[in-house]
Amino acid sequence: MTKQEVLGKKPLQVLQKIRENLERLNEKMEIMIELQKRGKKDVQPLPEAPLDVMTLLSMPDHLRKTAMTLCRLGRATAEDVAQQTRRARAVESGYLNQLVIMGHLKKERKGRKAYFHVDKENQG
Amino acid sequence: MIWLGKIIAVHSYKGGTGKTLISVNFAATLVKQGKKICLLDLDFRAPSLATIFKIEKADYWLNDYLNGTCEIDKVLIDSSERIGNAGKLFVGLANPTTEAIRDMSAKDRKWEMRALGRLLALRNSLLNDKGFDYLIFDTSPGLQYSSINAIVSADVVIVATTFDRSDVEGTKRMLRELYDLFEKKTEVVVNKVLYDVSMKSGKDEVQTRIEGIHKVPVLGIIPCFCDVSRAEGTFIFAQEKPNHPFTKILDEMAKNLDNITA
Repeated sequence: MTKQEVLGKKPLQVLQKIRENLERLNEKMEIMIELQKRGKKDVQPLPEAPLDVMTLLSMPDHLRKTAMTLCRLGRATAEDVAQQTRRARAVESGYLNQLVIMGHLKKERKGRKAYFHVDKENQG
Repeated sequence: MIWLGKIIAVHSYKGGTGKTLISVNFAATLVKQGKKICLLDLDFRAPSLATIFKIEKADYWLNDYLNGTCEIDKVLIDSSERIGNAGKLFVGLANPTTEAIRDMSAKDRKWEMRALGRLLALRNSLLNDKGFDYLIFDTSPGLQYSSINAIVSADVVIVATTFDRSDVEGTKRMLRELYDLFEKKTEVVVNKVLYDVSMKSGKDEVQTRIEGIHKVPVLGIIPCFCDVSRAEGTFIFAQEKPNHPFTKILDEMAKNLDNITA
């Protein structure tokens, strides 16, 4: 690798890092907004809220689409879901976090990525 | 283009509209065309396929697969010889004993959610890994967990309906409040229609009428055939009567299905 290439790569890495941090911030803000909407008593995610078909039926359309896509994918990032639904990644991230707060999904961080899934024992 | 197998759920609002008749004969027709088909009995409240395929005892049932006590390959029974055609037919049976029916109707939401996960997993295990062309789900009528799970897992829903007034109204509601919400591709098959099969105009009239009522495409119109009723479900019509008008209609439906799912 030439000296010029090394120098050119660094700003790119910095920009990538800034983007990841902004995405994390964005996710946290979405959760805070959601929690505020629900009031303090609902701060903890609901422990028992199985994502069965009747629950899917009763959801608003935008959340149903996200939840169904995740059911099909099993375990996925907001990016994976966005590719399927053809909606923006940030939009899907918001909906997925909303579903986590409602107790329907679980969220795990692996390195820099956040993975969402239906409760593991319920994935078949 | 690579062909990816598809999942078809055959559903209806009311019982007795011909779901099982359509599922079984549709499967036989597709096998006749050289396809590899898996027909699954998801009507756990009134299982029928064990009787139709004359299988008295199975080592494993679909009930066991959904309970998570066995894998799907243990459940599938190779019935290709029974059909004796170019393709392959595997069937998965629902346990018809009263005890099993009672057990399945007492499942809770969490179990139903796991069952949905296991149905969704069939796309990988059967379509992708085992190379089936179609999985056909024969479901229970109406809004029941097992049927909605099947609908959610399917690519296309075939709705069997009749001109019975309450069936028409119920089907209309289901199209609006169930299939549309899950964004499912839906096709209607109208069964037990009273018109002369030799008169094309009668069929066109029925098709226009149905499309006007339900606002979805019509996959097939099946007249009321006394021969089909007379068979009393003792044999598979599309297999044993290849030149009967009923079989010809099924042939046409199978051809159209390929275009719909392509």
